[in-house]
Amino acid sequence: MDTSHERLFRLPFKLPTSVSAKKVCVYVAGALYGAGLWSFLDCVLYSKHANGSDLHISFIDWVPMLCSVLGMAIVSSIEKNRLLQDALSSGTFTGSQSTAWQARVVLFLGFSLLASGISGSLVVLIVKFLLKDYTSYPTLGMGINNVLANLAILLSCTMLWIGQNVEDEYNYSLTL
Amino acid sequence: MGVQVSPLTKIICLSGVLALGFLLIILSCALFHNYYPLFDVLIFLLAPLPNALFGKSDGFSSHGEFLNESGRNGEDFGHFMTGLLVSSGILLPIVFYHSNLINHESALMTVSGGLIIYLCIVFFTWFFNGSWDTEDDNLFGY
Repeated sequence: MDTSHERLFRLPFKLPTSVSAKKVCVYVAGALYGAGLWSFLDCVLYSKHANGSDLHISFIDWVPMLCSVLGMAIVSSIEKNRLLQDALSSGTFTGSQSTAWQARVVLFLGFSLLASGISGSLVVLIVKFLLKDYTSYPTLGMGINNVLANLAILLSCTMLWIGQNVEDEYNYSLTL
Repeated sequence: MGVQVSPLTKIICLSGVLALGFLLIILSCALFHNYYPLFDVLIFLLAPLPNALFGKSDGFSSHGEFLNESGRNGEDFGHFMTGLLVSSGILLPIVFYHSNLINHESALMTVSGGLIIYLCIVFFTWFFNGSWDTEDDNLFGY
């Protein structure tokens, strides 16, 4: 599978093999997670130490971030091979049907937590910052950072998912 | 690694550079009487740890790696934690600078010093593990 793709371009540029692509995906996912975490901590620390306005970060701003982190933990802890196998075999194994349903429900919960995290941060940005005329930048930056943090965690979860699926394809082509 | 350098020279150079990194960070704390940047040393010292713990069966050097599910999950976790720690080590001084906890000279010195420390540890493991494993790595097109 990999050797057929190897001389695709004329330039001395090799398509990354799926193992190194997987590694890079996981590294990038970790870096994005760190970026999200520190972006959120930035708005919290800024509100505490360098705030020029009377608007402060309260627990409301923490809620979307907690949703995102929890959702990512749920989505990443699902065993995706199980889900894939059930999708492929499409219910011929009746014994694994209940676990497939459990996996679907839990995965749905995780994704909805992620989505509610990002939409919640947008709601906080609009209701707490924009509607109350805090539209100048150093104050608005706290809300923007919150949205960026949730976005980075969503992207991190996506990269991790992509990385694990790349690995699964690789294993599939190896074991057959 | 085409250039042949004796291991003693490597060790001396690396330890000098490591001391430079620590010097930068400690100077960034002590010059301004503000010891928040020391957290960065902690993060960058923890950063090589996940790969060192989980990456022992790295790549394909050991047989039975392909179907061993738990080993690869651990390796993924190690890579994820490495990315997380390195990015947070770079971002921590920037965030501290943005929230006026440290000034910008201190932030610059902390970022460069922390990166120097991390790269020292990475190069150290690469120099002294790489002599056995380079053939395997080249073989599998990493």
